[in-house]
Amino acid sequence: MIVASYSCLSYLIPPWPIRSNSGRRNTSRRAAVSQITSAESNPLVQQTNIRRCNCYDMYKEVIPFSEAWSWQKSIVEKRKTLIDINEDCSDTLIVLQHQPVYTLGTASSENNLNFDIKDPPLPLYQTERGGEVTYHGPGQLLLYPIMNLRFQKMDLHWYMRALEEVVIRVLSSTFSLKASRVDGLTGVWVGDKKLAAIGIRVSKWLTYHGLALNVSTDLSPFSRIIPCGIKDRGVGSIKELLRESNGLSSTSGYHDDNDDDGKLIDIAHESLLKEFCEVFQLELCHQSVSILRSPDK
Amino acid sequence: MALRIWASSTANALKLSTATRPHFSPLSRCFSSVLDGFKYANSHEWVKHERSLATIGITDHAQDHLGEVVFVDLPETGGSVTKATGFGAVESVKATSDINSPISGEIVEVNSKLSETPGLINSSPYEDGWMIKVKPSNPSELESLMGAKEYTKFCEEEDAAH
Repeated sequence: MIVASYSCLSYLIPPWPIRSNSGRRNTSRRAAVSQITSAESNPLVQQTNIRRCNCYDMYKEVIPFSEAWSWQKSIVEKRKTLIDINEDCSDTLIVLQHQPVYTLGTASSENNLNFDIKDPPLPLYQTERGGEVTYHGPGQLLLYPIMNLRFQKMDLHWYMRALEEVVIRVLSSTFSLKASRVDGLTGVWVGDKKLAAIGIRVSKWLTYHGLALNVSTDLSPFSRIIPCGIKDRGVGSIKELLRESNGLSSTSGYHDDNDDDGKLIDIAHESLLKEFCEVFQLELCHQSVSILRSPDK
Repeated sequence: MALRIWASSTANALKLSTATRPHFSPLSRCFSSVLDGFKYANSHEWVKHERSLATIGITDHAQDHLGEVVFVDLPETGGSVTKATGFGAVESVKATSDINSPISGEIVEVNSKLSETPGLINSSPYEDGWMIKVKPSNPSELESLMGAKEYTKFCEEEDAAH
């Protein structure tokens, strides 16, 4: 069992009856509490039935894909054991950035690669998630929720739409970008540009892998692939769209570009966590990331 | 307010009315077929036991909820399966899901048509969409599976709860 010191952040979450009461919680008893920053200062936190979500937040770190993938699989195995004995008490969320990498899903086609699969320009991983090839790299925020859908809605379509909803709300409320879904094309779009890609794996209603949101990502590696197998649409980032809407060209540089990118990532990260909690009705409990890295987890 | 925005945007995406609580599973789940004479696991796989061979696949209810299956990952012949443990995966809607074996045994045949035509799982979940044939190592495991009536009730309860 993982035991560590943690701080709990609880966000105001009004009852959201779209996810029906599974019997495990009673939304009518949920009190409207003020946003708090520490669990012990508000006794009402313990009285609500909001599900706990352990959060390993490395959003400023650039982690190798293989390491994060290994963490996920390890957590999934532990959670499955808890599920089997009916003691799966909290969900998990990992937040980070990746070093440049291409990843494939279970059904990914080599036709969507503009390079020889035996000689990729970047590390390439064949994963067990759904979806086609995509690129991950610095400036892109990854959310890896490991969610027991028995505590949400046992419906994969709903889960994908809910992940999209998190990003749509972030783009709209924080960046005033009009984001939308496209029928039949999972992901989040602004116009004909995809800002967030989604691909997941489900095992006994436990999900992993997740979503990737382009904040200040260098988009050029996407040109070596047909992202997600979609030929006639492009990929965008929050930074690119904000520049366009401010009338700046993509090449107009400013000496404090890195600072601005850092701020964009900070703002996007904060909004992502807030909307994630709201959509999935969760209370984040921040865990020390050293737990993931220690050999005896 | 947040609820209305969520419902409205989702409803627009799915062309549903916002008057009722949005849900994304097709109504046809009420009419998913369940066949007599088959046994069913609560993870929505079926088993047809004939003489010494058990054929395994996923149910009409399962394929209906998954949507269009675009990829099926199956094991090799000669391998083994263990009850309630994953033996393969199906991909749909950018989500790949484990398939769990309802019984333990040795895999004697795998449906090779599914690699070319994964949609057989949608169009014919109990016949052409069969996945593996297994020689059961412990036939008593079949006794703990559900029959058609029990499975139908299980699906109704599961759908009603969500």
